[in-house]
Amino acid sequence: MTEMDGMLRPNRREFLRTSANGFGLAALGSMLGNEAMGGVPFLDKPHHRPKAKRVIYLFQSGGPSQMDLFDPKPVLEERHGEELPESIRMGQRITGMTSGQKTLPVAPSIFKFAQHGQTGTWLSDVLPHTAKVVDDLCIIRSMHTEAINHDPAVTFFQSGSQLAGRPSIGSWVSYGLGSDNRDLPNYVVLSSRGTGRPNDQPLADRYWGAGFLPTQHAGVKFRNTGDPVLYLSNPTGVNRAGRRDMLDDLSALNQRRHAVVGDPEIESRIAQYEMAFRMQASVPELTDVSGEPESVLELYGPDVKRPGTYAANCLLARRLAERGVGFIQLFHQGWDHHGGLPKALRGQCMDTDQASAGLLMDLKQRGLLDDTLVVWGGEFGRTIYSQGKLTKDNYGRDHHPRCFTMWMAGAGVKKGITIGRTDDYSYNILEDPVHVHDLNATILHLLGVNHEKLVFKYQGRQYRLTDVEGHLIRKALA
Amino acid sequence: MRFLPTTLLFTAASAMAGAEEIRFNRDIRPILADNCVACHGADEATREAGLRLDEAESALADRDGVRAVIPGDPEGSELIRRIFSQDEEVVMPPPSHPVQLKAEEKEKLKAWIEQGAAFEGHWAFQPVEAPEVNGSGAAAIDSFIDERRDELGFGPEDEADREVLLRRVALDLTGLPPTDEEWERFLKDEDPNAYERAVDRLLASPAYGERMTMWWLDGARYADTHGFQADWERYQWPWRDWVIRAFNDNMPFDQFTIEQVAGDMLPDARPDQIVATGFNRNHRINTEGGALDEEWLIENVMDRVETVGSVWLGLTLGCARCHDHKYDPISQREFYQMFALFHNVAEQGKGPGRQGNFEPVIHLEDPEKLKRRAELAEEIRSLEMELRPWLSKGHQNLVKQPFTARNGNADNGLSKAISALKQPEAQDLKKRVLALRKEHGSLMSKSPSVMVMKEMSKPRKTFILERGDYTQPGEEVQAGLPSFLPPLPDGEKMDRLGFARWLVSRDQPLTARVQVNRLWELVFGTGLVEASENLGVQTDWPSHPELLDWLAADFMEHGWNVKRLMKMMVMTRAYRQDSRILPEKLERDPKNRMLTRGPRFRVQAEVVRDQALALAGLLNREIGGPSVRPYQPKGIWSETNFYGNLRNYKHDTNGQQYRRSLYTIWKRTAAPPGMTLFDMPSREICVVRRSRTNTPLQALALMNEVTYVEAARKFAERMMDHGSTSEEMLRWGFRLATARMPEPAELEILVKGYGRRLEYYRANPEEAAGLLKSGEAPVRDGLDVAELAALATAASVILNLDEVVTKG
Repeated sequence: MTEMDGMLRPNRREFLRTSANGFGLAALGSMLGNEAMGGVPFLDKPHHRPKAKRVIYLFQSGGPSQMDLFDPKPVLEERHGEELPESIRMGQRITGMTSGQKTLPVAPSIFKFAQHGQTGTWLSDVLPHTAKVVDDLCIIRSMHTEAINHDPAVTFFQSGSQLAGRPSIGSWVSYGLGSDNRDLPNYVVLSSRGTGRPNDQPLADRYWGAGFLPTQHAGVKFRNTGDPVLYLSNPTGVNRAGRRDMLDDLSALNQRRHAVVGDPEIESRIAQYEMAFRMQASVPELTDVSGEPESVLELYGPDVKRPGTYAANCLLARRLAERGVGFIQLFHQGWDHHGGLPKALRGQCMDTDQASAGLLMDLKQRGLLDDTLVVWGGEFGRTIYSQGKLTKDNYGRDHHPRCFTMWMAGAGVKKGITIGRTDDYSYNILEDPVHVHDLNATILHLLGVNHEKLVFKYQGRQYRLTDVEGHLIRKALA
Repeated sequence: MRFLPTTLLFTAASAMAGAEEIRFNRDIRPILADNCVACHGADEATREAGLRLDEAESALADRDGVRAVIPGDPEGSELIRRIFSQDEEVVMPPPSHPVQLKAEEKEKLKAWIEQGAAFEGHWAFQPVEAPEVNGSGAAAIDSFIDERRDELGFGPEDEADREVLLRRVALDLTGLPPTDEEWERFLKDEDPNAYERAVDRLLASPAYGERMTMWWLDGARYADTHGFQADWERYQWPWRDWVIRAFNDNMPFDQFTIEQVAGDMLPDARPDQIVATGFNRNHRINTEGGALDEEWLIENVMDRVETVGSVWLGLTLGCARCHDHKYDPISQREFYQMFALFHNVAEQGKGPGRQGNFEPVIHLEDPEKLKRRAELAEEIRSLEMELRPWLSKGHQNLVKQPFTARNGNADNGLSKAISALKQPEAQDLKKRVLALRKEHGSLMSKSPSVMVMKEMSKPRKTFILERGDYTQPGEEVQAGLPSFLPPLPDGEKMDRLGFARWLVSRDQPLTARVQVNRLWELVFGTGLVEASENLGVQTDWPSHPELLDWLAADFMEHGWNVKRLMKMMVMTRAYRQDSRILPEKLERDPKNRMLTRGPRFRVQAEVVRDQALALAGLLNREIGGPSVRPYQPKGIWSETNFYGNLRNYKHDTNGQQYRRSLYTIWKRTAAPPGMTLFDMPSREICVVRRSRTNTPLQALALMNEVTYVEAARKFAERMMDHGSTSEEMLRWGFRLATARMPEPAELEILVKGYGRRLEYYRANPEEAAGLLKSGEAPVRDGLDVAELAALATAASVILNLDEVVTKG
């Protein structure tokens, strides 16, 4: 935690200032000795009873194509190659990648849609596994955003601002609700590459950064090479017993110094080293999936056995959820299909369809889906018109911020419904628009947090995740 | 006491026995700021009921018989009725407001009205006048500090032990522990002024300029990449070196300001003055393929205005981008008037998808190199034209383009394709092309050019942007200043140069206050105004308002002399106190705002590492030049980014890996974790105050990162030079790292731990050898491997001590 900066709740800060009987000091010691990462949370208690204890956010980076996955437009089959009508585009801006294109030919999806589940929800045939859990989903076809390029758009989703500098949603949750977890960080990020487009859009550390919040609220990105957590392993030549031995010396020396100097920050540092030591055991235990039965692994699909894949990360997400981590975010790259979309999309769905559905099933069979919120989606959608050459069986699609699809499932979310409607070209929203701020407000709401009241004062202003916007997606709430 | 219109202070009510005197700026404004002014403040667009509570005229006005504030009559004041109301429809702030009034805040508002409801203008916007004080220099500072501390009923702490003090001041003034030479001179110097002489030597050392530059770079959001998506490399380091030189030369802060903001517009501007303007080009530049020039041209200018506003004025000008500023008296129009000052740059908006610096730039390299680069580019192209028969169609087209005009990603692909050519008849050409490309690359990466400010001959027009949106230009505006601040000095033109001079004019109240406050924060850990990033209406009340003004006035009146100011601060008794914390002081002065003891806090990220390198004897003291590559985790640049030229990170092996941390190559989207874990900001935007956290990830880094493991074993080698027994070696090492002798019990812990681990390494020599392989530095010949490994573990314990990562 910080040196009593921005971290102590107001009442505790007040208490420290006013207490004159010596009790304050003892309390301070125990407070700074808080051994969970993140320290004392901003909120004494949630604003209302939380439906979700944790979030697993499956971020599909690059912008999945809504009309090829969730938002069928059969009427377009006859308009293959026709120019996008101006009555639909209405002069809206398009990116620098297609603004110079001579024509904007309509590219109907080549994927077949069918109805699934008791709800009869339409899904494309590249999502056969999602089809099995479709009755658990709340599909939102009417998402919209303000950004039109990846970096600002992901930043906007994550932090409520297109520009760098604001805290990410997981950081807000860590800051607001804190953590009781003595062994693991409270905001964990996992990433994987897509096979649909292996060299796709990059991820910036900013996406899970703490912005102006104290650094300990930043997401801890588990790495796919080397130590999952940076610097987790002892150096060659120092084993666990040796580390314990060194830590005992360190702790004894720090304690002696504390007795002389009286700085509570020393106690805090001792506690942080102890948590580091525990993490050296708890993280390998977490990532060791050798004890998972085959029946569970099968849910996630064959990729689950290859570390660093989306499927393997989904399994880790479940294990993190079981271990009380509050905000778990996966980033799967490879959804940016400017060209060769049919092939690339198949690759992406091979990566993610079974694992996403498997995760839901696995959570459900353990009773975890009741208090875990799962969110699936990317930073924007894609255009109905083809970028580059349109042929009978091939096309590309450019970025489209005006409508796209996401889904939520689990704690507090209505099951088996579809929210929102788009026009015949999946270009504009006709019903129930849901803005990024609305989604973020709703995620916080399900965690028991009123998005208007989770604030941090920076540069003289009370900032919040949703800026001055955000309305709950009422239709999505169970 | 200038803040107080004394005539308003003494009202009948304030004479009430026992009533604490309420001061508007100290006691009331912060309450209004957090609870009221979002709806009852400066922004007309969102003002409710036409009521503004932070100004007398509106707050006292009669609205159909209702008055928010009636001086001396809390019961009659609507404000009091509302804040105490139990009715959800009536109570203020409304239940939906994120922050609610605390009981004692309500009582304060009541008492303020009882005492006559005196209003004051925001203190930071008033002219800077030096209050009366006894003495001058450090003594003057101490008299302000003593007064507040005495009020608390505390005496000062004794002066810290002189060695501890030398370490403290060396860390503050150079960002490094004292050098061996400095230790020797200081310990021998028995003169009563020995400390002052050491301070003078530290201020004169080149490390001082580096330390101050570390302070300046966060605000300047200096980095080595463009910061978006592919995050291509740029080469802005000559600007960073300009800053180091400026601090080392003790360039007056007003000149330092003028050259960075408008050095290009000075009469007969010298190249170094133009380089200085790199400050305003350090912002990120979007290089994403689909990005739109118009949008990013605007964002670049926004960034400049916000950054200059934050760094010099301590204001959040960006808040007036979409609407009038909610709190400070800055209208949206005024925002765009300042925007106009930074808008007139011949830039494209987004950047081309390639590494390098984007126009406008100044070339600093010698003409020979420039010429060679041009030749190489031409040769590469013509050789590649000859390679066309073996290339794909796309690459055949690409090679027709001039070498330097190609898209970077595409050219990387071409380069790979050429490398992969297998045809025997292409081999000769292939070799030649690759060699030329390599030469060109090496000239590029060391190419000293700097992105700078340059006025367009035909000025770009500036419009108010409705809701801050680049697609919605409104009325055209001309360059100008916010009306609540003093006007342009006589004879100045309203352009960027005039603005720069205005920033440091004597009447302008913010620049000096902001700078002395931040330098105070650097030395004492917390600013006199804690929220040092904002001195606008919403800021905190200073812990020592008179001292802040005295410092600001003194700074300006002594020629904006930064070294003088730094010296004055470290010469104070307040600074030189012992930093131990007595329980009663911790309780009543938990953050040490009253300087009841010496400053004690963790050193900043760069210093954590630099100190370890220095103690290990590894630190490379070379100054300036291109950024360098220290150890970083494997795959750090490649795991999440497949674009741009900065991938496949490899650390330097030629000693450059031991340079000071301010030279570490800074890729904004994947910044060095060893730095960011210790609260260094990402450098994507201007940040002028770092958080200071204490986390398990920091512990892991200090225990396990190769930098610190290698440092520990090299530190151990140095210990071996300074003793023949483990006691002697560890005593020397402990003392070097902490600047004090270990207590017997402390030494015993270290010695016993060493002994236990020596036993282990004797029994497991391969483990000892493994530990000693950490890092690039060779193990000195002839040392006992088990002893060295065991000593390295003890050295690691020392490097991890709270006391060592703390300036105390």
